[in-house]
Amino acid sequence: MTPEEKIPELPRLTFLDLASAFLRTLFLQAVWNFERYLSFGFALVLVPVLRRIYPREERGEALSRHMEYFNTHPFMASFILGAVIRMEEERQQLPKAKQKQKEEEISALKVGMMGPLAAIGDNFFWATLRPYCGLMAVVLVMSQAFQPKGYAWIIPVLFLLVFNATHLGIRLMGFLQGYRKGDQVVLAIRRYGLQEAIRGLKLATLLLLSVLIVFVNLADLEKGPSLFILRLIFFTAIVGLFTFALHRKISPSQMFYAVVLFALMLAFWPDLSASPVILSGHAPADGFIHPLAMLK
Amino acid sequence: MMHDWFLLSLVLALLSLDISAVGQFMVARPIVVGPVIGMLTGHFELGLGMGALIELIWIGDVPVGAHLPLDLCVLSGVAVAFASELTTAKYPPEAAMTYAIGVAIPLAALSTQVEILLRKFHVRWVHFAQRMALNNHLKTFEWINLVVILELFLKGFLMAVLGLTLAHFSAGLFQMFPAKVIEGLYYAHWLLLALGCSAVIDLVVEKKNFLFLVLSVASILCLALIGQVQGIWLVTLVLMAGLIITLFFLGKGENA
Repeated sequence: MTPEEKIPELPRLTFLDLASAFLRTLFLQAVWNFERYLSFGFALVLVPVLRRIYPREERGEALSRHMEYFNTHPFMASFILGAVIRMEEERQQLPKAKQKQKEEEISALKVGMMGPLAAIGDNFFWATLRPYCGLMAVVLVMSQAFQPKGYAWIIPVLFLLVFNATHLGIRLMGFLQGYRKGDQVVLAIRRYGLQEAIRGLKLATLLLLSVLIVFVNLADLEKGPSLFILRLIFFTAIVGLFTFALHRKISPSQMFYAVVLFALMLAFWPDLSASPVILSGHAPADGFIHPLAMLK
Repeated sequence: MMHDWFLLSLVLALLSLDISAVGQFMVARPIVVGPVIGMLTGHFELGLGMGALIELIWIGDVPVGAHLPLDLCVLSGVAVAFASELTTAKYPPEAAMTYAIGVAIPLAALSTQVEILLRKFHVRWVHFAQRMALNNHLKTFEWINLVVILELFLKGFLMAVLGLTLAHFSAGLFQMFPAKVIEGLYYAHWLLLALGCSAVIDLVVEKKNFLFLVLSVASILCLALIGQVQGIWLVTLVLMAGLIITLFFLGKGENA
């Protein structure tokens, strides 16, 4: 490098710049749109970073580079954001001739990582962790353990705690790992074991589902084992039918109305509504009051 | 109940920001919105029960790609507020819950459609921001972000007001229902729990873990019936087993 090519030492990012950028990741999806998806949020996160490391006249052009199409899972985007911040910092330390190449590397990293991270993020957070936490809360509600003592508020709090401990943990660690590793971040993601966690959590969800199925039908046990078994078989058949319908891409909202219609048919069909399998509902065996009796 | 519409709408608008605009801490999920609105209307347990039911039925509606799921914040908020209004000693709460959810679904769908329109409109903000960026006006990004959050807050507030008002006006219809319809709505509640179980199965169960589900239902039945492990003890046991399974898989991955 000739003395002419040497560039002056530019300011490095401070802890506050990184903290500000990380907090802005919470607004990543505010201006989500159908043309460029997360591009605005991505640029917004980089604003404090670019303010620090770029001269005033170059900031706009640098920010504009990050306004291209970008779409991934909002939590997993932290890995890419951390890496891009590090690479932008490295770009500024390079001589002018090599800066263009670094810009292309940054763009390639974004394009290359957003798809796989979206896939793993959607699968882990939306299709596995959130259903697990939701089902845990539902099962706790159904267990009736907290309601009589007035501690039922614990259930939503527990739901938020379990989900957000993982969510914020991965968001923060992803951001820091990305910043530490730069373009090597892709290797760091494997260490989180998200694929393995998905497999484990799905089985844990099935265990919770089994408890839910038992809780929904257990109230009838006191009326006799034969009725309980009959109800369980009826419930399993109904669940199988509904699962088939959902699998055929019928939306839950459509299914809701179909179920209500089906229930109304049962009510207007005297032979069926008189059947003990339907009649007992899911009310506790000892406290059951028929709805018609309540209306009288 | 409905005289609290302003407070309820304000709370729903604040919570609805969490759906996508701010944080995504899941405070806009039905299991949280339900009890919060239930607490404000004085029917906490009803809110918790309805929140759990709505959470369960729409558990598989996930925001993958460009898909915007149903606005469950408006759905659960309006449904719980409305059910609180309908709940009297005269009607079984299950029937009121089913009717309230049924009324709130179109309102939630409308809210999702408004959200889609707003997201289309946001393209203009992005183009404007890019023009401003090229002129080195970086501060514009922060202003646009703030304006959009305010816009989404306003949208959440207006949708909640509209939802609560329309739901309130349909309360008279519920009181006019013949006894057989109320009975049907009551049965529907139990069937909706079955629909919730189906939603979980549709999301989680594959060919390779179907046998695991069958075995786990059988084991838990044995535990509950023969072992007499029930209630919170059964849930704790299952949560512990789930934790061990997850840790086992995580450990396996590390070794590999």
